Amino acid sequence: MNLLLSAWTIGLILSLLALGVYISYRVFKFADITADGSITFGAAVAASMLTHGRHPLAASGAAFVAGALAGICTGVLHTRFKINQLLSGILVMTALYSINLHVMGQSNLPLLSATTLATYAQDLGRWISGHDSAMLLGWPVSTRDLGSLLLAAAIVLVIALILWLFFKTNLGSAMRASGDNEQMIRALGVSVENMIVIGLAISNGLVAFAGALLAQYQGFADVQMGIGMIVWGLASVIIGRALIGSDSVGAALTGTILGSVLFRLIIALALRWGLNPNDLKLVTAIFVFGALVLPAAMQKVRRHAAAS
Amino acid sequence: MLQLRELQKTFFAGTPNEVRALRGVSLQIEEGSFVTVIGTNGSGKSTLLNAVAGSFFVDGGAIAIAGRDVTRWPEHRRAAMIGRVFQNPFSGTAPTMTVAENLALAARRGLGRGLGSLLPARLQNELRDRVATLNMQLETRMHNPIGTLSGGQRQALTLLMATWLRPDVLLLDEHTAALDPKSADQIVRLTERIVSQHRLTTLMVTHSMQQAATLGDRIVMMNQGSVLADYAGTLRSHVRAEDLVRRFDEIRRDEQLDASAAEMLRENYV
Repeated sequence: MNLLLSAWTIGLILSLLALGVYISYRVFKFADITADGSITFGAAVAASMLTHGRHPLAASGAAFVAGALAGICTGVLHTRFKINQLLSGILVMTALYSINLHVMGQSNLPLLSATTLATYAQDLGRWISGHDSAMLLGWPVSTRDLGSLLLAAAIVLVIALILWLFFKTNLGSAMRASGDNEQMIRALGVSVENMIVIGLAISNGLVAFAGALLAQYQGFADVQMGIGMIVWGLASVIIGRALIGSDSVGAALTGTILGSVLFRLIIALALRWGLNPNDLKLVTAIFVFGALVLPAAMQKVRRHAAAS
Repeated sequence: MLQLRELQKTFFAGTPNEVRALRGVSLQIEEGSFVTVIGTNGSGKSTLLNAVAGSFFVDGGAIAIAGRDVTRWPEHRRAAMIGRVFQNPFSGTAPTMTVAENLALAARRGLGRGLGSLLPARLQNELRDRVATLNMQLETRMHNPIGTLSGGQRQALTLLMATWLRPDVLLLDEHTAALDPKSADQIVRLTERIVSQHRLTTLMVTHSMQQAATLGDRIVMMNQGSVLADYAGTLRSHVRAEDLVRRFDEIRRDEQLDASAAEMLRENYV
């Protein structure tokens, strides 16, 4: 039960990463690898502030801003200096590695003695159950895990709602149109370049925020924690698309969150059944490869079947 | 009013693929005038339209719209003064967004885009009313993705979007060329109605001599990046489609003559 609870919680926390990837990859068709660096950047900034005794909310907010700055860098490299999308992201991601080490001062920063959102989560859990341990569907679970899950769910819900409202505004709609038909939105007086920069700022802000929450949940920030995270985000977005199968904003946001949680559950079960943790990134990459290639292959097969 | 002075544009300059697309084009188009632009493939007519829209910067010359020099303005800034309909019906609309959303985006052409709602109730009513004037029953499909509509329907909506806020200049780039004859005819009539209703200054590129001869109050014929002929006023009123076709045949003969003369000279002297 604790395994499931923690899979749910991490799935929800990483759904913020997935929402960030949704904005860059689905809205703008921009494969933004900056995410690998900005999730660590968010964790580093938050962890560093927390160990200096700052308020967890301030630390998490600062992580968002830091990620947004990283996104702006990638956006400016691409739009103003005309550097290829992927290369812009790689440059910023690489630069962030050094910056993250500077921010943390060491390659791994534990948060054992700091007051974090996880501390609040534990209080929340204790307040709800009234004890130090709680029962969930007849299983004993720790109040920290229960509180973390509820807090993560609440945060994700609020952020998804804000994003949904944002994409219904003039600015948010202009962003969606920029990814959908660049020529059209330019002819309607929108600078696609500005939209990309703002979009990547929001995207990487969310990713960094996810990093800050993850660091607080697991109790440390690590300079390596971002490796392969973009692929993780892509997997969630792709699963979400398959689950919901609609292009409307609300459906896509919901699907992305469900995709992230579902993917984390699958991984947790696979690990439980003996998947070597070292193979995790390999399996994820193969999964995304399959998800990218299968739809076209299926269509080919179907057309073949229809023709014969 | 649209003023073009000595426009020059060369693509791929200094390479074997160099194309001198505009070679000193000057035109003055009066307020409320409807000009059709015709010419052979590669004559520079679409390039001229894109130069006005700002898809690229010209190498030389100046462009003024409603008295303002926009030569160095980027495309999205000029868009505040320009309405555009493209040849490809898919170019003018965002396919995954709904009909209403597309129109609402156009209703803020050239205006700021902040955190206000894209589709407030009042605007939704106005959108539906104006879509109903198209007589295409699209007002019942306001919340469908626009990508589910036909090319003709999308082009009609693009025309509505381009003129939602009155543009200083309306640019139509062979906007019926990709449609079936029936839809093309429908769009031509819609174009006539909207242009005359709002007295729009219009520049329309077309392949069809018939369209050129029947639409608008002035015909500009282009060849090899220059204006070859300009039929305005009483001259325009006497032009028929056959005259335009004959003029094109003359050009083609002249060009063939050039080529065969060059061939002859080369055989004899080189």
